[in-house]
Amino acid sequence: MEQVVLTPLGQNCLQALLKVWLDFDLAVSKVAIVKRLEQGRLSLEDYQKLLLNLRQQVIEGSRWISRSASSFDRDYSDIRSTVIHHAEEEHRDYQLLEADYVAAGGEQSVIESTQKNIGSEALHGFLMYRASQPNPVDLIGAMWIIEGLGNKMATKWSRYINEQFSFENNATSFMDYHGENDENHLQELYNLIDRVATSQKNIDGIIRTAKVVAKLYQLQLEEVDNHE
Amino acid sequence: MDVYINSTGHYLPGDPISNDEIEDVLGLINGKKSRLKNKILNSNGIVQRHYAINKQQQTQISNSEMAANAGVACIENSYLSPTKIQMLSCATSQGDMVLPGFGSMVQASLNLSEVELHTSHGICSSSMMALKAAFTGIKSECSENALVVASELTSRLFKNKRYEQVEGNEVDFNAEFLRWMLSDGAGALLLENQPRPTGKSLRIDWIKSFSHANVYPVCMSVGTAKNEEHKTWQDYDTYADAEKAGALMLRQDVRLLDNIVSVGVHGFLKLIAQGDVEVNKIDHVLCHFSSKYFKSKIFDMLETAGASIEEEKWYTNLYERGNTGCASIFIMLDEFINTHDLKVGETIFCMVPESGRFNCAYMHLTVAE
Repeated sequence: MEQVVLTPLGQNCLQALLKVWLDFDLAVSKVAIVKRLEQGRLSLEDYQKLLLNLRQQVIEGSRWISRSASSFDRDYSDIRSTVIHHAEEEHRDYQLLEADYVAAGGEQSVIESTQKNIGSEALHGFLMYRASQPNPVDLIGAMWIIEGLGNKMATKWSRYINEQFSFENNATSFMDYHGENDENHLQELYNLIDRVATSQKNIDGIIRTAKVVAKLYQLQLEEVDNHE
Repeated sequence: MDVYINSTGHYLPGDPISNDEIEDVLGLINGKKSRLKNKILNSNGIVQRHYAINKQQQTQISNSEMAANAGVACIENSYLSPTKIQMLSCATSQGDMVLPGFGSMVQASLNLSEVELHTSHGICSSSMMALKAAFTGIKSECSENALVVASELTSRLFKNKRYEQVEGNEVDFNAEFLRWMLSDGAGALLLENQPRPTGKSLRIDWIKSFSHANVYPVCMSVGTAKNEEHKTWQDYDTYADAEKAGALMLRQDVRLLDNIVSVGVHGFLKLIAQGDVEVNKIDHVLCHFSSKYFKSKIFDMLETAGASIEEEKWYTNLYERGNTGCASIFIMLDEFINTHDLKVGETIFCMVPESGRFNCAYMHLTVAE
């Protein structure tokens, strides 16, 4: 792999982000449902519940990205373009997720009417709040965590799920699709890091937001087991 | 109180064994050549290794005797009389005896009197744990010196008959994998509370490790049968039953193995963040990676993190000496010191990731005046 981020400040930022990611990766591996998933002890109900709980965040995901686009002023119009493009690409992802839920034996009407879990409420609330601030460059930290998880879902979780169950129709299209596209998204993110990691203040903001998002995403996953 | 590595030594049994000769020693399982062998050897990059068993699979030298030989080589390179050694700290993943501790057997072989004794048990990182015990002993002024020895004799686990005992006679990838990875050998380090004028005294700046056994399942093990979660080898009616069930096989869950890369890089980034290590001040890296494959993965990830260290700074003798588990890092350090012209102030960063249940140990050394 070539050096992906070129500026020295960008490299500091990326190094700190990678550490936040690895901390998150370890923390997520300890979440009960993830442990069952990664150790081959997932039930079909578990997988359905996981999709059910991810769906709301995925729908809301495109909303905070769109809102953040409108919060970037003319000095950041290049970033605004990237973010709009990103939001456009992902804002119908939830349809893949719903199709997976049905392929895994769930009812369309159930996934359409399920509320956000407590972790998703907190995560969504925080992201919408940050996205409403002027020039919210710190949200690069949020994208970093969410893209990283997409990559993990595609390269690991999808494989484990398909090893444990045999579905008639593909029931992991959301996780797989995410992985295929995340390579490009990661490259976009690296470019964004070079663009906005121009001061220690910006880097601190990015890292802080990455940490908060990681913690709240973890809460969202922990709450899957509390789903009634 | 500073602590210095003042002498090193190693012992590798017998003549080097080329990849073509491995099955002459370990035997053909059910009389058939392995179909996995070349694939795994191509991936790990090892071209020769040493075994303490001969082609008749008779043990030529015990694990504790190999350890003692490495210890003697180390003492003979030093300024110290064996009678002055105050502490002996040993590591292995499997001694010759189940009990007593490996250190007792090594002490007897070395004929060292009245030493403080320590044995650390584990897999690849156990040598670093033994080294840490010796380092803290001297640091806290409980002893003036310590001999640290790590030794492995895994080839006994790989004899074809061991595999043929398993009921159903089925050898899966996870059971066979390590057969092509591991081999035998021992390494030793002598620590003292003062440097010696050899130009090769290395001050130990720190030794730290981070274990993640609470996060991940067991990845490398002896003691349970395939797909068995709770029942371990001593829970069977007889040891013969345990062997038949496959509970005594050395297994690697290869699917979990990738986690070792992120665990290793995670610890490294943590050390950078804590200010323990500055990437651009590292002159040499000695990393116990088990194969070429993992080396490139570690490289990629460090590069992405902007924490990469130039390839020419990395040293290993894995490919010529084999993967000797916990002994590897000492055997590597010994050969590195003897083949490099070290300059005062140069730094050496050592890293030993253990896949057993994901422990990763690190050490920082500086060449002393």
